[in-house]
Amino acid sequence: MTMSSSHLVLSDDSLLSRVDRALFWLEARLTLLGGILILALVLLATTNVLGRWLFDRPVNGYIDWVEQAMAFFAFLGIAYTQRLGGHIRMDILIARLSGRWLWGVEFLSTLLILLLTLVLVYGAWLHFYRAWEIGDSSLDIDLPTWPAKLVVPVSLAFLALRLSLQLWGYGRAFWRGDPSPVAVPLIEDTATLAAKEAELMLDEDDPENPS
Amino acid sequence: MSNLFDAMMAMSHTEIGIWVTGAMLLFVLIGVRVAFAAALAGFLGLVWIFSAKLGFERGFLVAVKMAGTIPHSKVSTLALSLIPAFILIGFLAYHAGLTRSLFEAAKRWVGWLPGGMGVATVFSTAGFAAVSGASVATSAVFARIAVPEMLKLGYDKRFAAGVVAAGGTLASLIPPSAILVIYAIIVEQDVGALLMAGFLPGMVSALIYAGLVIGLAKWRRNLGPPAPRYDWKARLAALPAALPVLIVVGIIFVCIYGGVGTPTEAGSLGAFVILCLALYKGMRWKELRGALLETAKLTVMIFTIIWGVLIYVRFLGFADLPHAFAEWIGGLHQSPMVTLLLILCAYAVLGMFMDAIGMLLLTLPVVYPAVIALNGGPDVVAAESAFGLSAVGVSIWFGIIVVKMAELCLITPPIGLNCFVVAGVRPECSVQDVFRGVVPFFAADVTTIGVLIALPQIVLWLPSQMGFG
Amino acid sequence: TEWNVSLWGKRRAFTEHVEKLAELVDQKTNGQFKLNISYGGLSKPKENLDGIAIGAFEMAQFCSFYHKQKNPTITVTELPFSKDLSLTRIAEIQSKVHKHPIVVKDLARWNATLLMPTPLPQYNIIGKGKPVKELDDFKGMRIRGPGGIMGVLGKLGAIKTGVPFTEVRQAMDSGVIDAASFAPHAHLATKTYKVGKWATTNLNLGTADCPVVVNTDALNALKPEYRNALMGSIDEALAYYIDNYENKVIGEYEKAIDEAGLKRVTFTPAQTARLNELAESVREDWVKHNAKQFDSKALFDFTAALFNKSE
Ligand code: NA
Ligand code: NA
Repeated sequence: MTMSSSHLVLSDDSLLSRVDRALFWLEARLTLLGGILILALVLLATTNVLGRWLFDRPVNGYIDWVEQAMAFFAFLGIAYTQRLGGHIRMDILIARLSGRWLWGVEFLSTLLILLLTLVLVYGAWLHFYRAWEIGDSSLDIDLPTWPAKLVVPVSLAFLALRLSLQLWGYGRAFWRGDPSPVAVPLIEDTATLAAKEAELMLDEDDPENPS
Repeated sequence: MSNLFDAMMAMSHTEIGIWVTGAMLLFVLIGVRVAFAAALAGFLGLVWIFSAKLGFERGFLVAVKMAGTIPHSKVSTLALSLIPAFILIGFLAYHAGLTRSLFEAAKRWVGWLPGGMGVATVFSTAGFAAVSGASVATSAVFARIAVPEMLKLGYDKRFAAGVVAAGGTLASLIPPSAILVIYAIIVEQDVGALLMAGFLPGMVSALIYAGLVIGLAKWRRNLGPPAPRYDWKARLAALPAALPVLIVVGIIFVCIYGGVGTPTEAGSLGAFVILCLALYKGMRWKELRGALLETAKLTVMIFTIIWGVLIYVRFLGFADLPHAFAEWIGGLHQSPMVTLLLILCAYAVLGMFMDAIGMLLLTLPVVYPAVIALNGGPDVVAAESAFGLSAVGVSIWFGIIVVKMAELCLITPPIGLNCFVVAGVRPECSVQDVFRGVVPFFAADVTTIGVLIALPQIVLWLPSQMGFG
Repeated sequence: TEWNVSLWGKRRAFTEHVEKLAELVDQKTNGQFKLNISYGGLSKPKENLDGIAIGAFEMAQFCSFYHKQKNPTITVTELPFSKDLSLTRIAEIQSKVHKHPIVVKDLARWNATLLMPTPLPQYNIIGKGKPVKELDDFKGMRIRGPGGIMGVLGKLGAIKTGVPFTEVRQAMDSGVIDAASFAPHAHLATKTYKVGKWATTNLNLGTADCPVVVNTDALNALKPEYRNALMGSIDEALAYYIDNYENKVIGEYEKAIDEAGLKRVTFTPAQTARLNELAESVREDWVKHNAKQFDSKALFDFTAALFNKSE
């Protein structure tokens, strides 16, 4: 079980793979938006604390802004992370499976997640809808909370789309008995994963130690 | 069928809690991603409990609505805003070239000792821990930088790899540490107090590692021969490049310990300083974009598991299971210390198969109230408690020990990730080599945990200076 | 029948009427109707109204200033009316306002019925740094507090900063806020007096409205005898609460600020007059701001009359 590794996802010319890559393109942009918001949060917090120390002038409604931003960077990248197999899991058992058994179990667990996600899309939508319809506001500066509440069902809907694609991928692999299917994250042995984890930090050119 | 349904509806909350928890473990076992396994079990549990009360149709709808409020509600918690800042700082620190500067400085200062390059590795990983919250990443970076230098001096390759794999684990104790933040939030303890609490145990760990390296090098000369001495001029010349780490440590201390800012502000200021340094060192949009993408992904991963597990925790709240478990633990006829050690052993076993964050999030909602009950309850004073600590003290102390325990599992087979990372980076070391190399460090970690259990003051001294404990 | 009750924090003076209510209902129904009180296990405080609307739990407490837009009408009782009243009188006023048709309609959107108030005395401020002397000293001060008080202090340049209840002390310690305005029980619960250097004694700018609500459907579905047991216990629960508050909490609070050596800040009649002047404009603002959403003038006049009657 690993923290942040991106698993290998194969591609080819099939419709499945093309849809996979198109969706991935969009998912990556949503995730980057989340990353930029994180950077913005860091800058906002820095401005807030420096403003307080130097000019006795903190950012008005700082806490409200942070709380509203959090749902965005917590959710925008959720489908992207699923695409790359980045949500942690325990693969000690299924890593021992292969072929149809493996794709069958993967299909089942993906289906379970999809069903849960659909439930949550609806529940989170209703949560948004209450804030939209009846009203809700933040504590200090009365920011409406519905945008942050809306980002949850929307991101989860992207996740549902991604999960459906993965179901298609696993289903097809199961049907064909495919040893290396496209559009789904493949289980790699721990050593391969570890090497990737290492590259993650080190893939930039190191001027002092070119490798 | 309807008999089964009736039987299910008639079960006590504790029975429902046990069935649902079992279902969650089953989901985790068949490879459902932990966040969703917990959320799914929690949702099914809510359906069960509400159906028993309101009938299936209404109960199901109430469960859907309840589960649907949790992702937004739990994610929009101010204290959690610290996590992305802590993650970002680690990715930026690499681009700012801090790893190399740290190692260079440590090498010049302590390299002349027996096993000196190993000691330098320990100290520079400890230094990097002050700007990074992730132990695996720390091991990866230092495997690249420190192992070749040790091998050049004729170090035993297993020993060299072991130092790096173990040194990486320091990152989770020495602040900033994402896992300590998560612990603090789950148990509703002060984040700043926990971050400060990790500092001394992290230092103690580093010193025990360093002592071990020196001892081993003295005992077997070929393990780690000393490096050439540097004169004072060279030593001082290496310091400025490592200075930013001190600045970040300073910011965190001044903000949290000195009480002039929140932990989030400390993390953000630190990230800002490192960002400026990285930009100055030539990081451009391409690298920044990569760092932001990785930060966002890791943030999403952590937040997803947080809200997923909290759906399960919400179910536990309705089932009142933690209360039942705490009463059971509290009613055991054995010494509380024995129970605590058994809990820690269970964590050690679980940690061999699970990621630390997932493990803590899944277990703490039930285990933590039990530990507090074991000590004598949430309002107990130190003098009347089982462990001689106040409730706040126990919650901080237990947190540090559990995190150290989780880190220990990063260097144990079968999936001790730090070892795999080191073997992955160094083609000359096999995984077996690294696992053999870390054996003495494993022993050192067990010693450290023993010391922390015996001397809670090491954990609690800094927080008590802040008024916690 | 079992009802789940969603509160937050720990058991404290603020929750004693709910605890008492549960006890009385249990007695009167021989344990047939139970209120299971949960402190934080069922919801975050800011989502308690959502939980009531959903029907996840049958009873909950919340504060109106947590989310003005969820409950615009009952923020009227938070307005600074510049009257120092007994808790009994505050309970009467809030109960009457809570039964006003405009308020009932507002809460009905959440499928909620206001059951009983949580009467709180006038909020006072504990702050660190130099004790306030002039009203201008509030300029730039970051204060946590409910709408009415912050409306007035905001006009003096104070900055409303809403840290979570459980983080107040840490926030004050680290300078995120300079001061917090609370009723005495909450100063005790958050231990602001351990960080603060001064405490106001006669700030008269209102209090918070943190009522107890029930899910309307659940209330209507109660058997008549249970319903009678519930509704018939409210007065006794409130009386118990008020007795505890006035005879225990206030004394403990005074003792705590004395022991911590806080300087007491008492506003002069001239300063109070100025604050009352600002309070008046805050009240006018409230009527104006809410006019679009409901008949704010009518509700305000109704509330103001209740406050004035007690002179
Ligand atoms: Na760290
Ligand atoms: Na492990």
